Amino acid sequence: MSEAPVVLNETVHQSTRLRIMTLLVSQSESDRVAYGFIQRTLGLTGGNLTIHLRKLEDAGYVNTTKEFLASKPRTWVEATPEGRRAFAEYLGNLERALGMPLR
Amino acid sequence: MREPESQGQQITPEEGWQSIHATLDRSRTSMYVAGWTTITLLWGAIVAVGYLCMYAIEEFAPGFAADYAWYPGPLWLGLTVPGMVGSSLIGHRASKRNATGPSATAAGLRVFGFWIAVVAAAFVVPAASGLWNGDSDGLAISGVAIGIIALGYVLFGIMHHAAIALVGVGIAAAFYVPAHFAGDAAPVLSAVLILALVAVAWAWIRRSGAA
Repeated sequence: MSEAPVVLNETVHQSTRLRIMTLLVSQSESDRVAYGFIQRTLGLTGGNLTIHLRKLEDAGYVNTTKEFLASKPRTWVEATPEGRRAFAEYLGNLERALGMPLR
Repeated sequence: MREPESQGQQITPEEGWQSIHATLDRSRTSMYVAGWTTITLLWGAIVAVGYLCMYAIEEFAPGFAADYAWYPGPLWLGLTVPGMVGSSLIGHRASKRNATGPSATAAGLRVFGFWIAVVAAAFVVPAASGLWNGDSDGLAISGVAIGIIALGYVLFGIMHHAAIALVGVGIAAAFYVPAHFAGDAAPVLSAVLILALVAVAWAWIRRSGAA
């Protein structure tokens, strides 16, 4: 009997969103990451990052909050518990798709 | 139908796996080298000031330099301590700008601990070698100390960013080469070389987007 084909979460399995989720999930659960840090680290334009963050936010995988620090606006991004669960599930499916453990 | 560019390309599972590992590496590097462009400039200025002070003392107060041949030791100690404090503050502020929470704090503490260990070694090793005495040539003390600091840069760079490793090699070369070949002009030449080196490293790290 053949195994069911592996289905990878389409929201996560996309080059830019996968990198964003990896960066966010690699931080501790209470960590928030600066929008500018994500942009610089992943080499994304502001517009591109905003589009993909919105998509992840719509899926409930990330939260963005805006704050003023020393009168300068700052946007923070964090992975939600649901986003972490979805990413862990995605990793499991990716392992199955590749036929090898990733960790 | 092809997705618009802003939506990004679809990827294969293999590409996904590679992307995850590349992102983890890049994110860790960016966290650890937070503030490095400013810190590199700070140390370039400190080292240049140190060499220029040595040149000024040898040139304008040769009697003092002869009587207190060990003066480069305290001179470099006096410059290194504010340098370490400044680096810690810059690194701490930069990591706070990048992220809030335990991961950012842990990264900052690890970097701070690494450099405290390097600077402590730079003073303990010459002391343990018996160089901290009235008869010792001060250049020997600073030569050993700078060699250890340069090694710190090389090790940190191997772990996090090639530009930092090259700064370490450059610091060593900027000190040892003029010391052997440039005679009295060695401190000035070393100062100029260090300033040029940090300017190039600053541009490189900045351009790579890591800090």
